[in-house]
Amino acid sequence: MEVQGLGKAFGPHRALEDVSLSVAAGEVVGIIGPSGSGKSTLLRCINHLEQPTSGRVLIDGVPIADPGGREPSAKELAALRRKVGMVFQSFNLFPHLTAVENVMLAQVKALGRPKQEARARALELLERVGIADKADSRPRRCSGGQQQRIAIARALALDPRVMLFDEPTSALDPELGLEVLGVMRELASDGMTMIVVTHEMHFAEEVADRIVFMADGRIVEEGPPRQVMRAPRHERTRRFLRAVLDR
Amino acid sequence: MSSVVDYLGPLSAGIGNTLLITFGAFGIGAAIGIPIALARSARWRPLRMLGVAYVELLRGIPPIAWLFIAFYGLAQLGIRVESMPAAVGGLGAISGAYMAEIYRAGLRAVPHGQFEAGRAVGLTESGLYRHVIVPQAIVTVFPPAMTYVIGLLKDSAIASVIGAQEITALALGEQQQSFAGLPIFLAAGIIYMAIGLPLGGISRWVDVRLTRRLADA
Repeated sequence: MEVQGLGKAFGPHRALEDVSLSVAAGEVVGIIGPSGSGKSTLLRCINHLEQPTSGRVLIDGVPIADPGGREPSAKELAALRRKVGMVFQSFNLFPHLTAVENVMLAQVKALGRPKQEARARALELLERVGIADKADSRPRRCSGGQQQRIAIARALALDPRVMLFDEPTSALDPELGLEVLGVMRELASDGMTMIVVTHEMHFAEEVADRIVFMADGRIVEEGPPRQVMRAPRHERTRRFLRAVLDR
Repeated sequence: MSSVVDYLGPLSAGIGNTLLITFGAFGIGAAIGIPIALARSARWRPLRMLGVAYVELLRGIPPIAWLFIAFYGLAQLGIRVESMPAAVGGLGAISGAYMAEIYRAGLRAVPHGQFEAGRAVGLTESGLYRHVIVPQAIVTVFPPAMTYVIGLLKDSAIASVIGAQEITALALGEQQQSFAGLPIFLAAGIIYMAIGLPLGGISRWVDVRLTRRLADA
């Protein structure tokens, strides 16, 4: 997956400026940085939940939209999003559906899989994230950690090429967050391509192949976790890490 | 002198038309309310203005005046509409404005994250609305919609002014023959309540079920 010169402006405010990032298959990229640095906006622009103002995103070498050209059609967008799984900070499970239905819905309605097959796949994924016993519960009956794991299963159900995680543990108690990080760790070791926006520095350092530090809508520096986190080159990175790690 | 009970029979002859006006108008309103609600939240300004104009115009003028326009007004232009179609159409057009507002409130009650989650899993816009948004919005839409239907049941009485032979029109006819206003209109009131109360009961029953479906396992 490749992000080329992505920019996003909300009115006069430039949330992203000329961000380029290429992610190899199987690679895990951790994005860190202060709030408002454009991390979430970057993820949301990658699957076009926000329409980027400039630049483009390529998956398997195929651009999602022309640079500065026409907006992608609704159909193209839907097709793109099936290749990109997204996990939100606030889970955003469908409250009117059970866990297994949450994981089935897009398989049936977006991919056109037969219900039987979708159900089998959904149960398999719920098993994989460790909550098979909650398959027939609605989200409100599940803990935050369980909900987030259902959300991960929902995203995985489309067999995405890349998974985007937008602060997946920020809304969780530390202990519940741990369950979610455990699932993500497994995904990473299974070779899933992942981009993870996170404040969990230890997790980022341990799991990511590469760390990207963002501030003010730009990538300030990137590199192997050890280098970025132990020996950052930029003063801005140093300041941020000091604030985070010296707690 | 006749009693209330004596008038229940004759006035019941109007129940059919009262129900036809109520549910006919509601059906029209529920259907045209969708495009009006969409127009009202459209990105393109002229379309949005059109939606706002429709809602404000239809709600701003008393229903009785709209029925006069639909009946006498159109007749003057050479368009002859019978009193029943004029009543159903006129109240239906007004219902469209009210239902549009109810739909809008329902859509706004669905958290933004639901739209994002639906799009993020690759649903098309129509699939998003069908499978994710509407099933949730309906919980918010249902109670005010049912309140509106019950209001409409009572408002259907004004169709009598353009000669629709519903309960109130029949009551007025009886009154002109016998001048026994009290028992006649009490009987009419009883019939309205006999329809309205079960409607209210059904709506609460459905509402509880809808809410439970969303809340629990």
